[in-house]
Amino acid sequence: MTFGDFARTPLQKLAMMLAAFSMIAAPALATAQDAVVEEAVVETATAPATEAAPADEAAVAAEAPAFEHFGADMIKGQPEAGGIDFQPQFTADGQFAHDMHNYLLMPIITVISLFVLGLLLWVIVRYRRSANPVPSKTSHNTLIEVIWTVVPVIILVVIAVPSITLLARQYETPPEDAITIKANGYQWYWGYEYTDNGGFEVISNMLTAEEALDTREPFQLAVDNRMVVPVGVPLRIQTYGADVIHSFAIPSLWFKLDAVPGRINERMLLIEEEGIYYGQCMELCGSRHGYMPIAIEARSMEDYNAWVQAQGGQTREQIAAEAAAAAAPAPAAEEAPVVTGAEAAVPAAE
Amino acid sequence: MTTQTLDTRNRKTMAQMFALALGMLGLGFAAVPLYDLFCRVTGFGGTTQVASESEARLASMLGLEAGAPEYSIRFDANTARDLPWEFTPVQVTDTVTIGQRDMAFYTARNTSDRPITGTATFNVEPEQAGRYFNKIQCFCFTEQTLQPGEEIRMPVLYFIDPRALEDENMQGVEQITLSYTFHESTTSRNPTDNDS
Amino acid sequence: MATTAEAFEAHHDDHAHSHADHKPGFFARWFMSTNHKDIGTLYLIFAIIAGIIGGAISGFMRWELAEPGLQIMGQLVNAMGGDGSSFDQQGHMWNVLITAHGLIMVFFMVMPAMIGGFGNWFVPLMIGAPDMAFPRMNNISFWLTVAGFISLLFSMFVPGGPGGVLGAGTGWTVYAPLSTSGSEGPAVDFAIFSLHLAGAGSILGATNFITTIFNMRAPGMTLHKMPLFVWSVLVTAFLLLLALPVLAAAITMLLTDRNFGTTFFDPAGGGDPVLYQHLFWFFGHPEVYIMILPGFGMISQIIATFSRKPVFGYLGMAYAMVAIGVVGFIVWAHHMYTVGLSVNVKMYFTAATMVIAVPTGIKIFSWIATMWGGSITFKSPMVWAMGFIFLFTVGGVTGVVLANGGIDDNLHDSYYVVAHFHYVLSMGAVFSIFAGFYYWFPKMSGRWHSEMLSHLHFWVFFIGVNVIFFPMHFLGVQGMARRYPDFNEAFAYWNEIASYGYLIMAASMVIFFVNIGYALVAGRRAEGNYWGEGATTLEWSLSSPPPFHQFETLPVIEDHHDANDHISAKPATA
Repeated sequence: MTFGDFARTPLQKLAMMLAAFSMIAAPALATAQDAVVEEAVVETATAPATEAAPADEAAVAAEAPAFEHFGADMIKGQPEAGGIDFQPQFTADGQFAHDMHNYLLMPIITVISLFVLGLLLWVIVRYRRSANPVPSKTSHNTLIEVIWTVVPVIILVVIAVPSITLLARQYETPPEDAITIKANGYQWYWGYEYTDNGGFEVISNMLTAEEALDTREPFQLAVDNRMVVPVGVPLRIQTYGADVIHSFAIPSLWFKLDAVPGRINERMLLIEEEGIYYGQCMELCGSRHGYMPIAIEARSMEDYNAWVQAQGGQTREQIAAEAAAAAAPAPAAEEAPVVTGAEAAVPAAE
Repeated sequence: MTTQTLDTRNRKTMAQMFALALGMLGLGFAAVPLYDLFCRVTGFGGTTQVASESEARLASMLGLEAGAPEYSIRFDANTARDLPWEFTPVQVTDTVTIGQRDMAFYTARNTSDRPITGTATFNVEPEQAGRYFNKIQCFCFTEQTLQPGEEIRMPVLYFIDPRALEDENMQGVEQITLSYTFHESTTSRNPTDNDS
Repeated sequence: MATTAEAFEAHHDDHAHSHADHKPGFFARWFMSTNHKDIGTLYLIFAIIAGIIGGAISGFMRWELAEPGLQIMGQLVNAMGGDGSSFDQQGHMWNVLITAHGLIMVFFMVMPAMIGGFGNWFVPLMIGAPDMAFPRMNNISFWLTVAGFISLLFSMFVPGGPGGVLGAGTGWTVYAPLSTSGSEGPAVDFAIFSLHLAGAGSILGATNFITTIFNMRAPGMTLHKMPLFVWSVLVTAFLLLLALPVLAAAITMLLTDRNFGTTFFDPAGGGDPVLYQHLFWFFGHPEVYIMILPGFGMISQIIATFSRKPVFGYLGMAYAMVAIGVVGFIVWAHHMYTVGLSVNVKMYFTAATMVIAVPTGIKIFSWIATMWGGSITFKSPMVWAMGFIFLFTVGGVTGVVLANGGIDDNLHDSYYVVAHFHYVLSMGAVFSIFAGFYYWFPKMSGRWHSEMLSHLHFWVFFIGVNVIFFPMHFLGVQGMARRYPDFNEAFAYWNEIASYGYLIMAASMVIFFVNIGYALVAGRRAEGNYWGEGATTLEWSLSSPPPFHQFETLPVIEDHHDANDHISAKPATA
């Protein structure tokens, strides 16, 4: 019985109540969320939203569709108590890798281990001194030596084919219009920078045990601000370590990429289902290495856009429209780049 | 076998083994410049190339011959955590014709009350694009000093080598991210800060 | 063969006895020792002490991990004079424990036991040499290792973490920048310096072994007639000689980055932290073979002895070790799969890493083939050796899983990796150490351990370590990260079981120490070749313990066997 199973039934009711509540209190919630965003944004040096926010805040809040975070009933990627298999996988590469492990590697290594165990048991029984008092003097057999060299080679080739395929799939480069999200590792929390949506950064800290209990989320995996991403579209995940090396790892998405100071790393990610996926930092980064979890919330593009606006960011369409507007009158374009990067004309990716 | 010859042989073997160990020690240290050179030559780890004007002109011609396809370039900016600068690209993405030079801008602002000299590290993603990403001019070639509150615009002049089109590893690459990270230059760090 | 051995022994006693047992006084013998057997004994005692400390640290770790939440870190921090209520200091305490556990077990337990202990004791004996080539250098090697250990222990008692809390919390890999800009205080400097000292000791030792093996073999003992244990030490010595200087260079650069403002691994000055990882693992991967190859050698001797058969495929066995050593140098980046390598690099390292399975497989099957057709007696060393074969296989096949760069994306730095390397080291290397210990203990001490207790030790230890480490595979695939002092409740089940396993393992160690105590106090005297017919290498031609100086008259190796592990000796003058 997983925590999720246990939580699901009561939580469904809770979620419905929450949804109803949110309909009534949409405007209030939207402003409340902005306040939260403000707090997060203060910590970032580069977030342009700080400058843009005050004047437009009310307008943005009014325009933005209501956004409600998933509750614990939507948790998809989390460890299972006493589990002995991988977490269920929610990416195509993850399913491929999971299958490769379970249906190719596991059988092979199990058979090899049992084969060696069987041989050991056989020689114990058959060649113990009481059963075989006179040892043979055989110390060579070219045929058998060739066999136990060639057969492992064949087995390895059998493993190598899907293994190389898997690597090639994992390294497929994201298409131009992939949504770019940067995971910045800090001692000891994550910051998620939405460079395609205005460049705001969401600071994500671990929930305390009490807070996690309140939200019925797993403690040490639950965070205050999740990394919200659109589902079903390619994401360009870039990682960067601001101080020491961290590692951005989500087991249920078969994704792990180190966040290294002085450079970025990039990998494509495509989450197939809406839900919450937990991960943790997986490179030793100091005292609170164990306390900087990752929570990804995969949402429909519509919800994602609503969330982006609630954070004070802009959707792609808004950015594209703004860019088009800026490009049309000549003087406006000249004006734009003088200030900071925030208001600068951002060409649409398309 | 006399003791004398054994002693001599032993000393000889020892000397050879010490030489081997010393050689490996030397290689360990030499790894730093060699790795640097290796990265710069092969683009390993997404290290970009430095190109001269003439190389840029050649690339431009080759690019036109190749039918002038385009790449999308993404600009990324980071600052080390202890550097009180705001550092952002002026444009998040841009489209360049392969082989043709393009100018991109970053802005940096010193938000502290002391002059700070910064130095930028850089790489591109996907990594295999490193050897085709040529910079003609870059603010990362030199250190940048910003007075308190000062803001500057910094240019990068670059082009994509048309040979990228022939590289199998570049097939399917639609966008190249050029990333910079500003660090406080070690020469400008506070002298009280030298304990670690 | 037994007859020739006895004949030689008798001859030896005739006219070598008078000065063969002339021993120096206590201080000169144990502190300024130049005798390979005494130094070997010192190394073994040292490894046992380091093992007790490293094992006790892992006890604290299993205690902490027995259930979710922080159990004992606060008390430990308080005991170390820190602020036990500080969350950061508790987390740092944990990092200090894992760092110390790793470094102690690798550099001060396994390596000293295998190479320093058994290597020193038995390489000269097996090749018919009177001592190591450079006896005084041998002594220096040992005391450098001790100095390194003291420096490491010292690092646990000087500031190194947040708020001036004590100890180095960088992990045994000492990755930059956590170990440079990320760790204030001198603790990391002392930890690094301890590696310098231990590394210097090991390089001197490696030179000594190579010189001894190349130049001081008894007449007639060609390289292709050397016992496989000697082969394994030779290959190991070369690995040490080629790998350790690279580590020395890397950690020297860490030290200068920390203290003298250089920027080898600091991006602010144009350095690259990833380069440190390349350098570290260029050393680190051969290092894991350094820890296991002498074990391979011992297992070969033991299997042959108790099967009363020569080792099957002697040349294949020897060159498989050479192959493992060579390939060990070109697979290092499989420890860095997630650092941001390009796809081609990852594909190469995936393929190269899997290649290692081939020579390793040859060794496993050759051991079984050695037993095949044999007349096996199940004395304690043989039982440990058979345990080794099975558990090393289990650890090896999970290595094949991890070798796949794409699969490793999920398992990297998870408990699966912890399970894997404990199966090959904590079970592979340690089982071979115990096998070698029971094999040679009467030879070294002249007294018998209790076979009954040795078997009991085996079974309890076998159960204990499997209960500890097998569940870690499950934790790893479920996504539990390594180097975490605390975990979500979902991981509690298997962690609790693993912690019970530690208690079982600890109980087995009590049996081990009782056994040693019994042997030293009341053990019956061991004869020269106490394992009888199957034991054919030269050490069995000597008394137990061997005379203080042996082989003053060099033995001659008869050429009445084809190239295999089956060697007999006759005195040169016979």
